[in-house]
Amino acid sequence: MPTSTRKGPASVPDPIATAMLARSPVRQSKPLRQEAGWEVSSADTGAALELADLTPITKVLVRASSSAVGSSFSDFGRARRDEAGHLVVGARPDEWIVFGKAGSAAATISQIEERLAGAEGLVTLVDVTHRDVVFLLSGTDARGVLEKICAIDLSDRTSPDGTAFRSRVAGVSCLVVREDRDGRPAYLIDADRSYGQYLFDVLVDAGAEFSVEVAGYTEVF
Amino acid sequence: MILLPCPHCGKRNSNEFSYLGESAPRPTETGDAKLWRAYLYTKENPAGWTRETWLHSGGCGKAFLAERHSVTNEVRATWLPGRKEPDTTTEAGS
Repeated sequence: MPTSTRKGPASVPDPIATAMLARSPVRQSKPLRQEAGWEVSSADTGAALELADLTPITKVLVRASSSAVGSSFSDFGRARRDEAGHLVVGARPDEWIVFGKAGSAAATISQIEERLAGAEGLVTLVDVTHRDVVFLLSGTDARGVLEKICAIDLSDRTSPDGTAFRSRVAGVSCLVVREDRDGRPAYLIDADRSYGQYLFDVLVDAGAEFSVEVAGYTEVF
Repeated sequence: MILLPCPHCGKRNSNEFSYLGESAPRPTETGDAKLWRAYLYTKENPAGWTRETWLHSGGCGKAFLAERHSVTNEVRATWLPGRKEPDTTTEAGS
């Protein structure tokens, strides 16, 4: 009768240690490193147009009526930084997404709770870090790339720095936030995790004519 | 590209929206099966101005009402449920 024999502790990887490392649905280019419990790429390109996978950043969903949160949050369709450095995005008329440093979900939630302590009505806070992927497309030609796969007018007149909108990007419902970096246009693209690899591939493909390069994880918060 | 004006987001490509059907007042007499059958299954489907519910599923995720011409695809008014509907009776084409 065949039996299995354990060949000693060295041959069995620790299941807890390997399971605890979170991974983006997007294949990461080498070299790899760990960032706040996530496996990320530390590739450095220095290219004029870069696409980076920022999925590990903290994302907190806030649902409340706009009258309840008052002026403490950004308006619908706008994004701005708060005092703690979080990016507060008015994603829907009654919904905000707060982006923050990777691994800071608990701290971010408690800060929002503190700020909304006096809000009237029901306020819902959910950590959606593992629900969504976030890509950062930055560079002078970033707008040209996005215009190929998104039907929104991205000109400075209608979509200036600090604009946020939900629309379809390559057929996928996305939240797009423009937050310029170093004087160059930059777009944060947030979509459901299950579309991650597809959306990333489409962005790389659309950016090929602009010589886009895939950059590693960078800290933006 | 057909543009549909969402009351929240402004003009957007129609492929961002889901059509939820003709809009009619909900029956108040909850027990009357005839009224409910008419409300659920009987549609007017006119070749002309029609009042419809649309969902901006690819955008803000909110439903709104629209007056659309089913032949020309012209949309002359959109508004949110529960809000006062705009007066379109004096406009041409009705």
